[in-house]
Amino acid sequence: MGDFSLIGKSMKRIDTPLKATGQARFSSDLMLPRMLIGKVLRSPHAHAKILEIDISKAEKLQGVKAVITAKDTCADKWGVFRYTQDQQFLPTDKVRYVGEEVAAVAAVDEDTAIQALKLIKVEYEELPAVFDIKSALESGAPLIHQDHPGNINIHVNIDVGDVVKGFGESYCVREDTFTAPEDSYFQGEPYAVVAQYDHTGSLEIWMPNAGPHLKAKPLSNVLKIPLNKVRVRKIAIGGAFGGRSEISPADVICAFLARKSQRPVKLVYTREENSIATRQAHSMIATIKTGVNKEGRVISRDITCHMDGGAYSSTGPIAVSVPFLCMEQAYQMENVRYNGYRVFTNKPIRGMFRTHGRAFACGVDLQLDMIGQELGINPLEMRLRNARKVGEFTPTKSYVASCGMTETILKAGEKAGWNEKWGKLPPYHGIGIGCNSVQTGFPMGIRGGSQAFIKFNEEGGITVITGIVDNGQGNDNMIVQIAAEELGLGVCDVQLINADTEVTPSDPGSYSMCETFIGGNAVRLAAQDAKNKLLKIASEALKASPDELTVKDRKIYIEKSPNKSISLSKIIRIALSRNESISGEGSYWPKVDSKREWVENPSGQLSETFSFGTVITEVKVDPETGKVDVLEVTAAQDVGYALNPKVIEGQFEGGIAMGGQGGMLSEYILWYNGRVLNPDQLDYMVPLAIDMPRINNIIVETIDPNGPYGAKEAGMSIAMSAAQAYCGAICNAIGVNIKEFPLTPDKILNAIEKKVKGEQNP
Amino acid sequence: MKKIMLTLKINGDKYEIITYPNRTLLEILRDDLLLTGTKESCGEGACGACTVLLDGLPVRSCLLLATEVKNKEITTIEGLAKGEKLDPVQESFIEHHAIQCGFCSPGMILTAHSLLNHNPAPTEEEIRFAISGNVCRCTGYAKIVEAVKALSKRGRE
Repeated sequence: MGDFSLIGKSMKRIDTPLKATGQARFSSDLMLPRMLIGKVLRSPHAHAKILEIDISKAEKLQGVKAVITAKDTCADKWGVFRYTQDQQFLPTDKVRYVGEEVAAVAAVDEDTAIQALKLIKVEYEELPAVFDIKSALESGAPLIHQDHPGNINIHVNIDVGDVVKGFGESYCVREDTFTAPEDSYFQGEPYAVVAQYDHTGSLEIWMPNAGPHLKAKPLSNVLKIPLNKVRVRKIAIGGAFGGRSEISPADVICAFLARKSQRPVKLVYTREENSIATRQAHSMIATIKTGVNKEGRVISRDITCHMDGGAYSSTGPIAVSVPFLCMEQAYQMENVRYNGYRVFTNKPIRGMFRTHGRAFACGVDLQLDMIGQELGINPLEMRLRNARKVGEFTPTKSYVASCGMTETILKAGEKAGWNEKWGKLPPYHGIGIGCNSVQTGFPMGIRGGSQAFIKFNEEGGITVITGIVDNGQGNDNMIVQIAAEELGLGVCDVQLINADTEVTPSDPGSYSMCETFIGGNAVRLAAQDAKNKLLKIASEALKASPDELTVKDRKIYIEKSPNKSISLSKIIRIALSRNESISGEGSYWPKVDSKREWVENPSGQLSETFSFGTVITEVKVDPETGKVDVLEVTAAQDVGYALNPKVIEGQFEGGIAMGGQGGMLSEYILWYNGRVLNPDQLDYMVPLAIDMPRINNIIVETIDPNGPYGAKEAGMSIAMSAAQAYCGAICNAIGVNIKEFPLTPDKILNAIEKKVKGEQNP
Repeated sequence: MKKIMLTLKINGDKYEIITYPNRTLLEILRDDLLLTGTKESCGEGACGACTVLLDGLPVRSCLLLATEVKNKEITTIEGLAKGEKLDPVQESFIEHHAIQCGFCSPGMILTAHSLLNHNPAPTEEEIRFAISGNVCRCTGYAKIVEAVKALSKRGRE
């Protein structure tokens, strides 16, 4: 790679001084004059008809300024896709889960708002409810949506090659079923919205989001005001992890309260509301049948997966597809069939999660281990024999333009000492490996591309304008790093305006790992556009052709005689005096197949490129307590090119904490009749500093042909591989394969006990 | 409920506040004094986002009534930097990429600051133990531990 000033360096992030000092403002920190406090009334029933809502007493309470119900929101329905529009922002006739929004108030303070909620009388008629996949699918089960017989929300069917023939030709075939309950996003920042709506008919709104434009359009639709009147503002965001992509009823409720009261309204969710009424991750039952040849190479695979989607569609078609698509990217599969079903239940709504599909991914990976056991091939070798290679097509016809899958397996294996440890560890010690691959964007219709602008001030400094949003992963810094590098500027010369729908152009959002690849490319192109204009003026001044010139350290100089130079500020002054505008414009549209559709046509280029990752975990299990002590984790990912290595390491480490340590050991939602028993921090166990093991990070670079500087994405393939490595290591340590996740001490002790009694089958 | 008057000493300044006796220190800090660097995440004393220092020791401001902290020195994240000069812990967190979304950072930094004041050369184990009352969902803690460790080696200025 070239000689860069900022790219490839672990520069300090531009946003962190504000965050270290308390100056960064999050949505709930905002205070506006005359601001009211909003509160939401929620359903106490899992499934019930709404017969009547009486708000008259609440409206009369001193200090209450607005009360809203479905009447105010015109019963409008929301859905990510045209065919999934099934959720009303406030329901008119039925509630479908405990915690669903029913009405809301805005009052002068929180106490008054809470008192007003108690004065709203809702008459319900309870209906029979279903709380798990199996009972939702039974014939005669209560229907959650009348137009979805059998409570099937989404069915994705993929059938490539000849699965039956493939099994016939296989040397060894096995079928296993893997399950996992729901997990929780548990973002640091509970959901919060501030909205103001003035007499010109304009909405101004702040909320955590994974794409301001993804929030603005549905707000414009439901408020029935032009899109330009919806101004979603930039605000610091306390984590998303996939859970803040869509419009939330909270956004709509807060906007309507602000409109009705004509005063700013702040609506802050409690931790419990954040756990129940934003999004949860799907529970899953995955049945996987795999056939391999003598060498352990997979010939045929047939997967049926049921996901509990909760009460509404959300990103259902994507959620059903992604666990499969990740694995078809990571591993070669000749003949493969996938039937994914998302099932409605009377539980909170499920969305895309950073570590989506642990039962699925652990199923595929753990089963490779089991087949390896039968064939006498070790898990690392099984991965190598099935690893995706560059230049291949996935079963659903995505071309793989760059791929370091094999390299991540080899490098992680070497660092972790796999060959020295596998089969040679003392009793109750184990080592395990997991692999996965993620996308860098999906086909997203007109929102699929990103655009960026750059303008200069008279000193040669710039303002970058882009829709890219930062959820905490460092996207703001990525934008500045790229723009400054291209234009030979320092970080302090760059001002950033982003994630504001009034000012910034279209962008897909920080969604599907696409911001570096798509948004980053747009920023780079905008900078190059501006640079070409600078070079034109400089070439006249320096009497050299533009291709002989280089931009660095706020100067343009002749590459072969660096003493001949002109400063950027001088070029800008020349341009201003000539009435020539110097600005940059760039847009990037990823090369994906626009005809690909999640349900109707799951074939064609899904994403322009993919990242690949391997995690290896070493554990020690206490056979007396079932407690797992994680000794070391090694993570290797093909990131394309590391724009900022420390940022990438941070993503690896966070992904291991969430996907492995939390995802395989301690995180799961507990239920009683559709009620979440552990929505709070004391009872939902996210990893703490004392829990986390030593982590070895290995960055693998394959220089993607189309990524900005060769970059792809920064750590999601690690987050999606960690659970498998943890689970493989524990099963290796105890000599039993457990197929129900997460692996809590009770399950581990049961498995050990059964093994001792000789009851377990492999 | 009758309002009461209390005097609080926060970041070296004195504030006279008339408020209800059932309000938490966190509510007073955020809602009345606009010291919004202190965050609320769980509201039940489990996550540490609302950590402030009380006479130099980390406490959870969501669990304390404001009336309980009269006559004590309260330090919030806003009180750590001296004018333009950041505290070494803040500098170290920035330098070592110990901050991602930043929601837990104010509480985490105050806890680390207090640890280093009381134990200038903590081991990694002591650091991990000390910050285990502060939950971070983004980083996996590795870079946070590095940031504190870097100061432990250097000692405190």
